[in-house]
This record gives sequence, structure tokens and C-alpha cells, in this order.
Amino acid sequence: MSMFKKKTLLTQVLVLILVAPVLAWAGGGGGPFSAGTFSFIKVGLVIFAIFSAWLIKDKMGIPLPKLIQAPLLWVLCYINFRVILQPPIPFSLLAMYMGVCTVAIFLYCSITASSWEEFSHPIAVMLREDHGTAKMSRYATFLIVPGLIAFQTYNQMLPKFGEPIELRTVHPAPPASINVHKKLVTLQTAENPFRIGDDGNYLKVGDESQYFGGNSWTGDVPKFLQQVREGGVVFFGTAGCFYCHGDNLDGKGPFSFAFNPIPANFADPGTISQLQETFVFWRVAKGGPDLSREAFPWASAMPPWEKHLTTNEIWKVIIFEYWHTGFFPRTWG
Amino acid sequence: MLNLNGEKKKKIGAWLLLSMIGMLVLLPFTPAVVMAAEEKAAEAAAEGDAEPEKAKDVFYKGPGEFGIVSGPPAKEMVYPDDYGSYGDFQSRTIIWIANQQHLYFGSFVLAVPMFVWVMELIGILQYGKDRKAGKKFDDLAHEMMKISLTAYSVTAILGGILIFSFLALYPGFFRYLSGIFRPVMHIYALLFILESGVLYVYYYGWDAMNDGDGDWKWSHLALGTMLNAVGIVLMVMANTWVSFMMSPAGVDAQGRFLGDIWKVMHNPLMVPIVIHRILGNAAFGGGVVAAYAAFKFLAAKNIEEKGHYDWMSYIAMFMGILALIPLPFAGYWLMREIYAYRQQMGITLMGGLLAWVFIMQATMIATLFITVNYYLFQAMGRMPGSERYHRYFKYMLAILVVSTIAWLTPHTLVMTPAELKAMGGAQHPVVGNYGVMSAKNTAINTMITTTCVCFIIYQRCNFNVKVPWAWKGNLFLFFLVFGAEANIVFLGIYGYFIPANVRIGLSVPQVASTLTVLFIGVWMNVKMLKGAESVGEIRWGRMSVRGAYALFMLAVAFTWTMAVMGYLRSSVRLHWHVNEILRDNSPWAFTNPLGYAGNINSFNVLLFWTMLLFVFWLSALAGKGKEKVAAEAAAEAAGSAVPAGSH
Repeated sequence: MSMFKKKTLLTQVLVLILVAPVLAWAGGGGGPFSAGTFSFIKVGLVIFAIFSAWLIKDKMGIPLPKLIQAPLLWVLCYINFRVILQPPIPFSLLAMYMGVCTVAIFLYCSITASSWEEFSHPIAVMLREDHGTAKMSRYATFLIVPGLIAFQTYNQMLPKFGEPIELRTVHPAPPASINVHKKLVTLQTAENPFRIGDDGNYLKVGDESQYFGGNSWTGDVPKFLQQVREGGVVFFGTAGCFYCHGDNLDGKGPFSFAFNPIPANFADPGTISQLQETFVFWRVAKGGPDLSREAFPWASAMPPWEKHLTTNEIWKVIIFEYWHTGFFPRTWG
Repeated sequence: MLNLNGEKKKKIGAWLLLSMIGMLVLLPFTPAVVMAAEEKAAEAAAEGDAEPEKAKDVFYKGPGEFGIVSGPPAKEMVYPDDYGSYGDFQSRTIIWIANQQHLYFGSFVLAVPMFVWVMELIGILQYGKDRKAGKKFDDLAHEMMKISLTAYSVTAILGGILIFSFLALYPGFFRYLSGIFRPVMHIYALLFILESGVLYVYYYGWDAMNDGDGDWKWSHLALGTMLNAVGIVLMVMANTWVSFMMSPAGVDAQGRFLGDIWKVMHNPLMVPIVIHRILGNAAFGGGVVAAYAAFKFLAAKNIEEKGHYDWMSYIAMFMGILALIPLPFAGYWLMREIYAYRQQMGITLMGGLLAWVFIMQATMIATLFITVNYYLFQAMGRMPGSERYHRYFKYMLAILVVSTIAWLTPHTLVMTPAELKAMGGAQHPVVGNYGVMSAKNTAINTMITTTCVCFIIYQRCNFNVKVPWAWKGNLFLFFLVFGAEANIVFLGIYGYFIPANVRIGLSVPQVASTLTVLFIGVWMNVKMLKGAESVGEIRWGRMSVRGAYALFMLAVAFTWTMAVMGYLRSSVRLHWHVNEILRDNSPWAFTNPLGYAGNINSFNVLLFWTMLLFVFWLSALAGKGKEKVAAEAAAEAAGSAVPAGSH
């Protein structure tokens, strides 16, 4: 077998291997396989593709052309984001990531004159030349590409039975002020009255780190930890926040999966650490029923705790939440 | 050239011109001084009669908290009395398009004179050393100015359309705003006349005042300085209206003017918006001129012409990038000020209703930086010796892509309820970490640092460094870049463990690291290139067509970014014409969905580029006429006829 034929054959085999997962992806899932089985198949295919690449490039001395590298890289990126990254990311994010990767791979292939020549030459040959291999590749391309588009169109047009995407505003803008227990709280300027240091004065945000990891249940504890303890009593006792928000404040309480959307995970750096204490105060006091206008679709099972807790208890439970997670509220000072 | 007899007369003429410029600069302030004097007299007269009513400023606190009520309250807008419409069209969309087009052209005509000024200055400074090089820069500045001149007329026409649209569609709102800004509205108009006058003298006097690097040329440059100064003042004034709508000051809670126009203008968001816009204009102007040059590069028929436009596109792109690099930091400062002004506004922008618009913006910013690097990779293709660096390109691209992925990851994800449950919460445990500011700052600083490294390679790729301390210099550069990046990443990670107010402070050392690479790195590189052996001259005109397309991409990305951020800045007022003062009671007070906004933004971009193509075509038309006359004259001199249709 001549070197040219060998190259062509190997190229076609590799293309076939790489096209299969693309087809399955276009189908919007694992096709006939279960998600787990399909993941194994994909990993197996990638390992096989890498092994093939190694065999071709290093053992047989045939350099891996850019036209092969490109889809290979694309599939590797896809496997990384779809299979390796766990728990699975939503499709919208996957589409964004793959969009970036697709553009990046194109840029990689055209980064210098020589790499562009290497990438585009076989395509030009396939489109222009009149010999057997070029013709066959042309026919195959003109069958596969419209086929893929048709397949994806068909899948997109198929009626879907899953719940639709919910464009929920997770952190809606708070109102300028709220009324809690007949007192006006201005959210831009209000401060947590239980944020107090050993001297009884207001404890600047950040200075409470000295109390992180401390035991608030020992007899003679600093004033700040006393507030933390009382907030903890509210969290685990009076209000029972832990049923939804979890023992570790990670949103995985025993009731959490009964709700849609599931309760907030305070241990995540994207929740309470991004918000001012007054924002958290507003959410705890007013709950789901008093979400602002932009908080579409107002999906929240959070009760309005002002009906069950005192204002002081609400401030204390907030102190506890920040202390427990080790985060600091947002300030602009 | 003006006929000037003797060195003395030339100097007298130059000084006379400079004095005139000085007086013209002061001219617009005359009405303000007169008006202030009149107001004081009125105040004094009022003091004698009765105690004037005082009211509390909505923003200013302290000694200046109370002011004398000097205007009517903001009237509650009523539909349809205070609004107009054309059939079924959304009035807001008409205003949106008119505003955006005026802004595009306004930004362009204010940005181009900045470049022209720099180019002209370089030309003058070069003239003494190398006349040919000096003239090259001077011609480039002149050509840029030619494009700007045509665009200037379009800007004025669009400004007129915008005013008419306001009067026809939002008369109530316009009446209120013009009532507040009454003391300075005529200053704006007079400045516009001054700007036009200076612009025409500057452009049409170019050849007449061109004596290389003599006094007339310096006087011409002084005209350019004035043109830029007036342009910036105009832009600042227009920005005060916009920033007043977002964060009003100088009025009481009823919207009554409290007599101090400076307080109205110097509202809490005015300064950061102005700084952000000046940098944005400069970057945008550079992008547009680069796209013009890329267009001419692709259309050029010979290598000399291609070489000229290749060089022009590089210079314009370079100037644009100089403004682009500090732009994210200025934007960051603006957002900080918005948060400090109103928590709701900040959250609506970055975490709430409009958060996804920021993802669109992030996509554009990433596109800009990747495109710049890609352009430099392509540009290096025309530099002999750059082959040594080709193998590093893919690694730089990989760094840019990884940074882009972190930069783009949204905080609020779009997902189905099933996906939400599979993920175990609204935030993903791994990529959720990229949705917050610590990751974003690290990503953007890494992208800018990579761009700096790419530029350093571009500077040196066709040279062999010959200084005896070359290895030490290279080692220094390596540690500079490595140290800066290590600092950026470390501070990014550290940011997760500290309070938000300290975390915001970390952006300063992160930016400082990036700027150190930019300034110290480029300085060291230039030092090392002293006496370097050239591998070969830059082959201007030999850049790949992909490089030219990258410049188109760059310019379109700038335009789209401006459109999307304009929509964002305007939408954050939600249902207010003037935040918390004048409510929008029209049927179009709702916030547009993203899809609609995307379509209108794309339409605006398309319309702008269509009009700009017309401007480019007009500029080329004037050139063609000159070429034809020159060719006919040459043919006549040679004694042969030029065949019809040969051009």
C-alpha cells in the first residue's frame, strides 16, 4: 500500500471515529445509549483517537495534519466539558464553551501562513481536484454536512417534553428601603446591630475573621461569638433554616430537593459573600412573597420570616451564616 | 503655502494665531459669566424682598445640602399628552436608534482628531531627523482627518435628527431636561460652532500651514490641540445630561433645580462615565480607522499602496489598543461607583435583570483581545525572523482561550429545572467559582498581560539582540512576566478568602502587575533592541488577508460593544427617565427582552457601517478626482492621450 493511500485510509477512519460523537451530540444526548454508557463510549473513543494519533504520528512517522487535529481537539474539548466536568453543566453553558473552543480551534489552524496552508490545502484539493480520492471525499462531504444539518434541524423541531428553561433572576435588585415590624430599614445604609466587638462597638467587616473557627458554646466567649451562638439557635432551632439550607449551609438540607428551585447554597462564593448584609436581611425578612418586580418568575419557597422571627433574631441568624461559612458581607467602605 | 517674507514675520504670524486661539477658547465661557452675574443680581434683589425657598439636594450632603429652589418640579408624565408616536412604532426604539447613530459618529469625529494630533506631532518631531518619515506621518494624519471631515457633517445631521425625535416623541421629558440644563445649553451650541470653525481651518489649512517643522506647522498643531480640547468639553457636557439621568444631583426630591448648575453637571457618575467614554471613543476611533485601512489594503492594486495601508492599519490599531488596555479598568471603576451610588442599580446590572447583557459584553471584550493577538500573529508573518516565535503562538492562544472561558462564565446560569437539579444548586461547584469578580479580574488581567507579551515579541521578532547583557535582559523579561502573572493569579485566588471591600482593593495590585509588564517590559525590550541586528525589513503590504479581516472583526466588535453597553446603561434606569425623579409613564417604560435588544443593536451596527461605507466612498471619490487630474496632466506633459475609462 502506498504512503498516500495509507494516509487517506487513516484519515477517513479517524474522521469516522470523530464524526460519531458529533452526530450523537447533535441529537441532543446519548442517542440510543444511556448517559453513563454513552460517556464510557465517548471516553473510549477519545482514548482510541489519541492512541491512533500517537500510532500514526510517532510510530508510523506520519505527521497529524491540521485537518485531523482540528476535529480531534474539538471532541477532546467536548469530552472535557460534557463528561469530565461533574456535576454536568447546563446546555447553555456547554454551548458557550464549545463556541469559544470552535473559534479557538479555527484560529489555531490559521495562526500562521504555513498552518493555514496545511489546514486549507486538503479542503481546496477536495473541492477542486478531479481524481478519485478527491471526488469521493467531495461526495462524502456533501452528503455528511447537509445530513448533519438536517439531523440537527429535525432534532430541534421535535416536540420536547422537559420543563422549559426558566430565566430566573437569582439576585434581583432590592428595594431602597423596607418596613419590618413597623420600622423603616434603609438597605443602602443600615448596619447589623449585632456586629459588635469585645469593646461593644461596631465591628468592621473583615475584623470578625479573628472569631472564625472559634467555639461559641464555651462558657466565657467574646460578645461576637455570643451573637453567633444565638444566631445558630435560630438557624437550627427557632426557625429551622437547616431543613432547607442544610447543616453545612450548603443548600442540601433534608427538604431541599422537594423545592424547585432548590434552596440557596451559602457555602458557595457566589451567594451571600456577594451581597450586603442588608440584602440578606431583606430576603430573610420578606421571603418569596415580597420579591421585587424584576425577580421573575418569583420562584422562591422562602417564607417571610418577619412573621415568625423578631428583627433581632433575623440580624443574628445573618451573623451566624457569615461566621459559619467564613465569608464576609459585601461593603463599599 | 502662505507667502511669508522673513523669519520674524513668520513668528509674529504664529503668535498672533496662537493668541486668537486662546481668545476663542475663552469665548464660550462669556455667556456663563454673564449669566452667573445676572443670577447673582437677581439673588441680591430677591434677598431684599422675601426669604427664598430652600430645599434639600437629592445627592449632595454637608454644607451644600440645601439650595435655593430655582425651577419648577418634575411634572408627572401623562400618556399620550407628554409623549408622541408614529403609528405603531415604539417611540423608544426610534430614539434609541437616533441616539446610537449620533453617538457612533460623534465618538468617531471626536476620536480621530486625537490620533491625528499624535500623528502630526510625531511627523513634526521626525521631520528634522528624517524628512521622508516625517512626511509619511503627516500624510497619514491628513488622510485620517479627511475621513473625519465627511463624518463630521453626518454627525451634525444625526444630532439634528436626535433633537427633532426628542421634541416629537418625548416633549415632556425634553422640556424638563432642557429646563434643568438651560444655563449651559447655549454654551454647548456655541462650542459646537467653535468646534466646526476650528475643524475647517485645521483641515483646509493643512497644506497652507505646512512648513515641515516650522512655526506655522506648530501653530497648526496648536489648532489641533484646540480642536481636541473643544471636542472633549463638548463630550463632557453631553455626558453630564446622560449621567444626570442616571444619578441626579443639584435638584430636590421633587426634581426642582436648586440653582447650582455645577452640582447638576458634577453628579455622582459624571466623572467615571466621562473617563470611560474618552477611552472608549479613542479605542473605537482606532478600530474604525484600522478597518478603513484594512478595506483599502484589500482593495489596493499594487504593493506600494498595499504597504501604505498595511502600515496605516497597524498604526491605527496600535493607537486603538493603547486606549483599549486601560478601558476595562475604567469600566471597573465606573461599576464600583454605580454600586456605591445605588446598591439596586449595581445588582440590577451585574447580578440581576441585566446580568446577561454583561455576558454579551464579556464576549465582545474577549473577542477584542483575541482578535488583537490574532492580528499581531498575522502581522508577524510579514516580518523576517518571526519564524523563531511561531511555536509560542499556540500557547499564547491557549492562555487567551482559558482566560476567555473564565471571563465568560456567567454567575446566573440559564438552565432547565432538570439541569438545575442535576447540578445540585444555582451555582456549579467548579465553574461557579468563575462567575465572580475575583476570577473575572484574573482572567482579564491575564489576557492583557498576554497581549503585552505578544506585542513585545512583535517588536523584536525581526531583530537579533546584540547588547552584551542580552541574556540578563531576557531573564529579566521572563521573571517580569512570570512574576506579574503569578501575582495576578495569587491575588485572584486570595480574593475568595477576604471581604468584598478588600477584594475590590486587590484589583489595584493586579492592574499594577499588568501595567508593569506593559511599561517596564516594553521599555526593557526597546533598550535591548538598541544596536540590534536586523534580520530583514518589515515587508509592508505582505500581511495575510486574515490579518485584514481580523481588523474588520475588531472594528465591528467595538461597535457592537458600544451598542450593547449603551443599551445596558440606559436600561438600568428601569422605568425612570431621570432616576427616582421623573418617571417614564409611556407604554414603552418596560425593559426590553435581550433578543429584541440584540436585534436593535445589530441593526444599529449595520446601519452605522453602511453609512460609514458611504463616508469611505466619499473620501475615495475626492482622491479619485485628484488622481485623474494628475494622471491627465502627466499624460499631457508626456504628449500622449489618456484612453477613456482608464481609471
